[in-house]
Amino acid sequence: MMLLKNWLSQFMELLHSVKDENLQWQNKNQAQQTKLKHAKILAENALAAKLKMKSVQLEHEISLLKIRHDSELSMFKTKCNQDIKDYEQYLNALDKLKKSIQSSYTHLPEAVAFTIHHHAKYLLNKMWEAEDMQQKMNYEMQLITFMTTVHEDAKLQLEGLATKPLPENTLKLIQQ
Amino acid sequence: MIIRIALLLFLSALAVFLVADVLLRLSIPVLPDTLNPIGIALLFSAFILLLANGFALISKLTAKTVFDYFSSHQRLQRRLLFIAQKQQEIIRLFHLKTAKISYLSELKRQRLLDKNNQKHLQMLSKAIDQQLLALKNHIPETQYKHLQAQHICYKNNQNINALLELQQQIAAIIQA
Repeated sequence: MMLLKNWLSQFMELLHSVKDENLQWQNKNQAQQTKLKHAKILAENALAAKLKMKSVQLEHEISLLKIRHDSELSMFKTKCNQDIKDYEQYLNALDKLKKSIQSSYTHLPEAVAFTIHHHAKYLLNKMWEAEDMQQKMNYEMQLITFMTTVHEDAKLQLEGLATKPLPENTLKLIQQ
Repeated sequence: MIIRIALLLFLSALAVFLVADVLLRLSIPVLPDTLNPIGIALLFSAFILLLANGFALISKLTAKTVFDYFSSHQRLQRRLLFIAQKQQEIIRLFHLKTAKISYLSELKRQRLLDKNNQKHLQMLSKAIDQQLLALKNHIPETQYKHLQAQHICYKNNQNINALLELQQQIAAIIQA
């Protein structure tokens, strides 16, 4: 029993010594601990303020982005609608071109008129679908040249200056 | 600290068991019977202490994680992430809307083109029909039917090149 008592007392002593050490350490480092705690709170507050500011900034950016996107989309939609109108006008112009050549050359076979119109439409589509600006301009020039040639042929025929029964210049352009 | 105590209890239990074993070997009858329950109690105490310590540690960690999750810093960070995600979503939506407008515009243009193609194909087909009717009494019935079947087939397939060739073929027959 004495042995057990001794052990217990030793154990309690050990416990107390550890407690003492702990207290001494806390006493020694109290100032530093308080300083650290204070610094930690300050850093946390600064970080929170920074995050809050960033979130407000992002929300503002989002609202600006929405406004910009809405206006860009509206502009893009208008541009697309205008493009469609332009394309329709081009098609109507090509239809008129066909009618003009048919009215000038009264005996022009429907197949030839169709081929002329079809070629003009082919150039128009090539121009429309070209993604490279240079290529687009090339096709546009080709289309304009072709339309001008058709008009010239029709004019020559109307004025009675044409010597052949078919619009030869136009057909030559198609064969090229 | 608690682990140290638990370890000490465990070692004490081992020591008690050893003493009890030695006393049993020395044929001292009463003392081992008293020491054995003490050793068992010490061993259980060590295990219970370890388990309690583990449980306390897990509870502490869980509570800390929960508090951290709902802390203002974490909440702000989550909000920031949410806003950033929202921004990305708005940008993605803008691209999708642009693609949709482009697609619809292209579809509209294609419809216009198809309508125009159909119109001119009908005109060509009508001209071929008229030529065929003019030829009806001058060519054999089988040849007429064959040409008419070809015409209907090419017209239904919207095969422009074949229709043009057919027209040339009919024109050649007329000239002959």
